[in-house]
Amino acid sequence: MTPSKVKRIIAIVLAVAGVALIVLGALSLPKRGGEQGQQILDTLRIRTLLNATGDGVVESYVAIAKKDATAKAKEAGGGMAAIRDAVAKAEEETRAKYANATTDFSTLDTEALSQAVHAYESALSAYYASAAAAEQAYVDAHMEEARAAAEAERAAKLAAGEDVPEETEVTVDMSGFEATEEMQRLSAAADESYAAVGAALQEIYPVLDSGALDTLKGTISAIVFQSGDTFTVQYDRYIAAGSGAALSNATSAFLVRYADDLVYGGVALLVCALVVMFNELLVSKLGIPRVIIGLFFILLCFMSLWYDLSLSTLLSNTVVRMGMNSIMVLAMVPGIQCGISLNLGLPIGLVAGLIGGLMTIEMGIPGWGGFLFAILVGAVIAAVAGWLYAQLLNRLKGEEMSVTTYVGFSIVSLMCIAWLVLPFQSLKLRWPLGTGLRNTIGLDSTNFKHILDDLLAFNIGGFTVPTGLLLFMLLCCFLVWLFSRSKTGVAMQAVGNNPRFAEATGINVDKMRVIGTVLSTVLGAVGILVYSQSYGFMQLYTAPRQMGFIAASAILIGGASTSRCKISHVLIGTFLFQGVLTLGMPVANVLVPGSTISETLRILISNGIILYALTKSGGGSRA
Amino acid sequence: MSAEYVLEMKNITKRYGENTVLSDVSLSVRPGEIHALLGENGAGKSTLKNVLFGMPVIHSTGGFEGHVLLNGEEAHISSPHEAMVKGIGMVHQEFMLLPGFTVTENIKLNREITHPNVFSRIFGKNLETLDMDAMSGDARSALDSVGMSIDEYTRVEGMPVGYMQFVEIAREIDKSGIKLLVFDEPTAVLTESEATQLISVMKQIAASGIAIIFITHRLDEVMAAADSITILRDGRLAATRAARETSIVELAEVMIGRKGEAVVEAGPREAPHERVALEVRDLYVNMPGEEVRGVSFDVYEGEIMGVGGLAGQGKLGIPNGVMSLYSAQGEIKLFGQPLKLGNAGAALSSGIAMVSEDRKGVGLLLDQSIEDNIVFNAMQIKGEYLHKIGPFTLKDSAAIRAVANRMIQELDIRCFGPTQHAGTLSGGNQQKVCIARALVMGPKFLFVSEPTRGIDIGAKKLVLETLVKLNREQGMTIVMVSSELQELRSICDRIAIVSEGKLVDTLSPEASDADFGLAMSGIKPGAQEQKGGGAK
Repeated sequence: MTPSKVKRIIAIVLAVAGVALIVLGALSLPKRGGEQGQQILDTLRIRTLLNATGDGVVESYVAIAKKDATAKAKEAGGGMAAIRDAVAKAEEETRAKYANATTDFSTLDTEALSQAVHAYESALSAYYASAAAAEQAYVDAHMEEARAAAEAERAAKLAAGEDVPEETEVTVDMSGFEATEEMQRLSAAADESYAAVGAALQEIYPVLDSGALDTLKGTISAIVFQSGDTFTVQYDRYIAAGSGAALSNATSAFLVRYADDLVYGGVALLVCALVVMFNELLVSKLGIPRVIIGLFFILLCFMSLWYDLSLSTLLSNTVVRMGMNSIMVLAMVPGIQCGISLNLGLPIGLVAGLIGGLMTIEMGIPGWGGFLFAILVGAVIAAVAGWLYAQLLNRLKGEEMSVTTYVGFSIVSLMCIAWLVLPFQSLKLRWPLGTGLRNTIGLDSTNFKHILDDLLAFNIGGFTVPTGLLLFMLLCCFLVWLFSRSKTGVAMQAVGNNPRFAEATGINVDKMRVIGTVLSTVLGAVGILVYSQSYGFMQLYTAPRQMGFIAASAILIGGASTSRCKISHVLIGTFLFQGVLTLGMPVANVLVPGSTISETLRILISNGIILYALTKSGGGSRA
Repeated sequence: MSAEYVLEMKNITKRYGENTVLSDVSLSVRPGEIHALLGENGAGKSTLKNVLFGMPVIHSTGGFEGHVLLNGEEAHISSPHEAMVKGIGMVHQEFMLLPGFTVTENIKLNREITHPNVFSRIFGKNLETLDMDAMSGDARSALDSVGMSIDEYTRVEGMPVGYMQFVEIAREIDKSGIKLLVFDEPTAVLTESEATQLISVMKQIAASGIAIIFITHRLDEVMAAADSITILRDGRLAATRAARETSIVELAEVMIGRKGEAVVEAGPREAPHERVALEVRDLYVNMPGEEVRGVSFDVYEGEIMGVGGLAGQGKLGIPNGVMSLYSAQGEIKLFGQPLKLGNAGAALSSGIAMVSEDRKGVGLLLDQSIEDNIVFNAMQIKGEYLHKIGPFTLKDSAAIRAVANRMIQELDIRCFGPTQHAGTLSGGNQQKVCIARALVMGPKFLFVSEPTRGIDIGAKKLVLETLVKLNREQGMTIVMVSSELQELRSICDRIAIVSEGKLVDTLSPEASDADFGLAMSGIKPGAQEQKGGGAK
């Protein structure tokens, strides 16, 4: 059998399995809202209710036993100590007696209880709906008041030179809220229907007295009212409470519960089938690294669905992170094109951009004007610094990789001193005590926080499209693309591609390398500002150190080599890199809950990608 | 040593894939004989040497056919070390010496004389003490036998190259049991007096009973030194002669020979010689391995002039110097206008174009598309194929595509389309892209350097035909530099032969093989008597 035939057979088997799962899932999915789903939930709920009540029953027996014991001890004329001993003994005995006692649930007639529970549920829902509406009305009425108070407090703090916290959520003080008449009425109705439930329970467990029922009220109302949650949440909670045994048809209930996962699994299998079928085409078009990382990304998507994480939110985050990182990745392009390979000295540009941002805040220029001012100042500083940096690179040709790395590290360390001594005065920038700038400077609406992200942003489901950010990213990509088609751009690429060729054509190689380096540095300055406005903070000190590496790996992942790159490499690489990071962490947190694995994993994934990307720095095919 | 021959190589055939580089070559060397191995570049001298030394390049490409006999016994030499053990020594063209070590240390390297000490008894032979006195004694006697008075404790670093050559020879002689020494172009880097001394040293060594294989292309040295001569041509044995039975003219003739049929035949014509297109006076070019040391010549408008010569003699330096790709001095006039050296852009914009011999190095942007390669010079030098949109000057994609398609059709560039990357093309098609780029410049004067190197016969034909067509139809003046004499003779009006950085003679393509052969080894035809007598 030829390999291609085997491949085709595997693909078909996978596809058939995938379609089968999808059909199975799709058939089961609507049952959740339908009669069967309701039945499953009802069964589970009653069982949970009975289990919970069962505990109450034991307590009742214990209480009775205690009372008897006390009475007996008193009769016998014992002192306090004797009574205490007798009571403890009676409790112990009673608990031991009922601990392993099981009720045969199947013989119980729960019909009456079920009806009572349904009635109680609707009464509760009505009450809570009414309560929520009333509370909302109260909040709406008092919002203005609360906001004014918060503003006043803030102004007072600022005037006193105190540390002003980030924009906080304005909360309305609910202490003045009183239950409405309607609420009281509905509450009474709910209590009434609870009494019906209690009666039904007493029929099953005659020992329950009204006191025990009062104790159980909270538990029961909680169990009953949970019906407002989604099918899967209720199902999981009831199963966790150990009520699974109640299901007469466990398999079909399981199918209904996991119908969505079946669909996801089916789609995943279809994707696998497609990959198996077209792997050669994919590999030749995209290159093996992108296929591997792309598949990993898709795997993460399915895992996040499987673990019921919000995929749309994660993807939305991915898009935002792609946008905020893309300009810094784009900064790699002129560097690679002009022949200094990966500009790991990008922190020069980042620092220049940060200075621009700081100046904006210092001078208090708000909104768009501030953002553009920051870009302008950053670009000018970056151009000057980039020119000096390019002179260094031109004197050390052939050693670019190590020179850029060391320059990147050095500038970060140098600026660590500079941040401490630069004469910025704004209290938003300085430490409240002592000298120097803060580690992390929060941006707010008075600066340029989210100025691009929020521009023309809109929602589709849970997916937020940061239109402004994406448009700005595309604009920058377009400008770089345009430059690469200009006469100078073409000459610069020739220098990067083959310096001897360029020299033979009379092109000033050093000059072209300067142009490329300056462009790269300026883009770095713009990039960090775009990053900061989206992140909401400007990070000083050691924060920019790693960013050059992250940008370099992103473009390498995208398919660039150290001597050749395209704009598409920037977009693909940034998306894959940030996508894997954004999706990887929540998934890892689910896989290993309650640990700091996500932070460890973030470092592992990002450094792993960097290493992997560097092994690919020679570039693959010339496709 | 009962056998008549110290070395016999019988019917050696070596193929690299489809390409036969040695075919049925035999070679026999007697003890105490200087045997010259003569041939042009690519005649198979180096391959034969590699076979003899069992170089990995031979074994990793499928070995060879034929037999090697040492002292009449079949020998299987599978590595250079084995060759050394069997008594074959080598004096390299590039010196295999450690610069920071003394002469003695270099001569005795890895064959040091040692005596045991406390540590070596515990830790093994590697820690034994060097017996410097014994070593320097050995080195001294080896140096004396090559006639070198230099102190044996001098460091190799900073020595004149001639001395290094002799140190290398001394090292080989010092090896015990050496029976055969191979000198690979030993005089290439030596001055004339050093070369003379070397030949006398070789004779001394031979007199002590050691056989010598002397690989060279200098005919006069062969006549002065060798007892017998084997000439290779195109991987075949062209002739074996005893030195006293032959003449320098015969050797030249055999070495050059007529190599098959010409690929292209330009019609005979009266070569134009009215107006001088390019005037070169005292050109010195500092191109590593291809230095030009004072060349003067004129190129007439409308002619095709050939520049020939052996590799490393400086013929490639001429176009590279004129185009300022390497630092050069001299006076150049193009159509009467002086051309300043040192600026590649100025040469290009004055109307000269060049197709470089180093296609992958300086000829192409391998990672860029065919069309970008073709229009690059025109765009950068002449500002063509650009259009302005607002403040931007951008590539004019439509015009570029059009000219690229035209060139692909005219030059028959075999590709998937104008956007294919130049690096993925075959050598012949890459060469056509280089030519296309030169043509798009619309040059009045064209340098083509090794235009047919490493390309298949079909592409060769097309390239040469294109050159003839450009010359005949557009009157383009062309200077073609090539190692392939046959090619030069087929299309050129005149052929200048360069040797040792100097122009030896300008010959007509109809001149005899002997004349070309002599000129290539630096002897001006008609003057060989004086020169031949001069080298002892």
